[in-house]
Amino acid sequence: MNKWICVICGFIYDEAAGLPEHDIAPGTRFEDLPDDWTCPECGSPKDSFEIYTD
Amino acid sequence: MSNAGADGRVEIDARTFNPYSQDFIRAPDPVWQVLLRDYPIAWHKDLQMWLVNTHELCDRILKDNRFTPNFRAWEFAPPPKPDEQKNDFDLAFEKGFFAVTPQAHLRLRKLTMPAFSRPVMAKIDAKIHDLVTDCFDAIGDAPSFDVYDALASKIPVRSIARMVGVPTDREDFFHDFAVNVIKSTRINLGAKERDAAMQATLPGFAYFREEIARRRAQPEPGNDFLGSLIGASDNGSQLDDYEILSVVFALITAGSDTATDLHTYLLHGLLTHPEQLELLRRRPELMENAIIELLRYGSFGKMPFFRFATEDIEFAGQQIRKGQAVGVNISAAWHDPARWENPNSLDITRKLDGNIVFGTGAHFCIGTYLVRVQGSLMLKTFMERYPNARLAPGQGELDFEWNHHNARRINRLVVDTGLNPARRAA
Repeated sequence: MNKWICVICGFIYDEAAGLPEHDIAPGTRFEDLPDDWTCPECGSPKDSFEIYTD
Repeated sequence: MSNAGADGRVEIDARTFNPYSQDFIRAPDPVWQVLLRDYPIAWHKDLQMWLVNTHELCDRILKDNRFTPNFRAWEFAPPPKPDEQKNDFDLAFEKGFFAVTPQAHLRLRKLTMPAFSRPVMAKIDAKIHDLVTDCFDAIGDAPSFDVYDALASKIPVRSIARMVGVPTDREDFFHDFAVNVIKSTRINLGAKERDAAMQATLPGFAYFREEIARRRAQPEPGNDFLGSLIGASDNGSQLDDYEILSVVFALITAGSDTATDLHTYLLHGLLTHPEQLELLRRRPELMENAIIELLRYGSFGKMPFFRFATEDIEFAGQQIRKGQAVGVNISAAWHDPARWENPNSLDITRKLDGNIVFGTGAHFCIGTYLVRVQGSLMLKTFMERYPNARLAPGQGELDFEWNHHNARRINRLVVDTGLNPARRAA
């Protein structure tokens, strides 16, 4: 499981945690998010994200 | 107040929305509600720009890359200068966040993220903690103080200066530089005023160019923000001097003058809603949500964000021509009853998903986490030191800077600290 960071605002999408409050189940891979999914913090599209390492 | 233009264009004028009127500055909500109800989008004949008001339309236009924040795309922008006449301002602007292609913009954001993103909020806190404490130490046990004078005019510019790496003795110089950088591209100012502001930025740019050169000449460029930009690399590509200057330019725009209003409106909002202040005291985990809600509630912007159409665009049933300016009236949008239930209520527990308090899309506020850390440090320290504080009689002797170019700026807000006189005397 990876973490992904939005390079516009720094929001982190953690595949292991998902986003249950946005109906995205824990374990959902970033690639499996819908193509039109946007960053919940800043509204940027998926291509604004890259792999994040702590 | 309004009529339909020749091609069905919805038009308004200063009788419907005059951001400079004192009545509006004192109490803007009735004006916003008219705009939201009757004019989701309209051409403002006096401001010579489109005005977009509802939350839905503001959100949509900010995510639409056909509308650029680059004021060089404005139909009335000064013509481009020949290369040999370009000064440091022009060269930095050309390489900046607002002017480059979307791909180059992503690269710049990526290179600046290590200094300004959510994962480094604790580091930002550590960097600026002492300067917030210093401002409160200066107030000490005084029976009252002016929030603008003691906090709002000092914390934001000192924070940005600290982040960028400006020495304390250059802060006034830096503040003037910051204000002039912002005024240089404000289309609501006259061309002469914009040009004078631009000329006044040049000593600041010269200072940073010299500093960059000094750092480049050292074995290590330093471990502050400027040093990190000089050393930053994205797949081997490094920032040149003007790209670094453009980032400094952007941070100043995002985080200094604008954040002045953060502190006054945070305290004004909480001290006029003591039950919310008490709730925040009991539930400190609400702090970040409270800051965003207080900004939404206070909506201190006077002028909208500006965007410029890069092509002819039909938007929300109106025909926007290439080069026309669009005022994205996010202050009104934050009070849109179609988006926010009871928009005129302050509720620090409000669910704020999808808010556009820091904008949205590619140009989402780069200083957002610095602002959240600053606001949080200020409020925590205020609540610890002055648990019985309240506004001074007369609603805090509140006054506005009526002619501020951008904000409904509160430039006087007096707080009674509520400290026991005996303790003060001790």
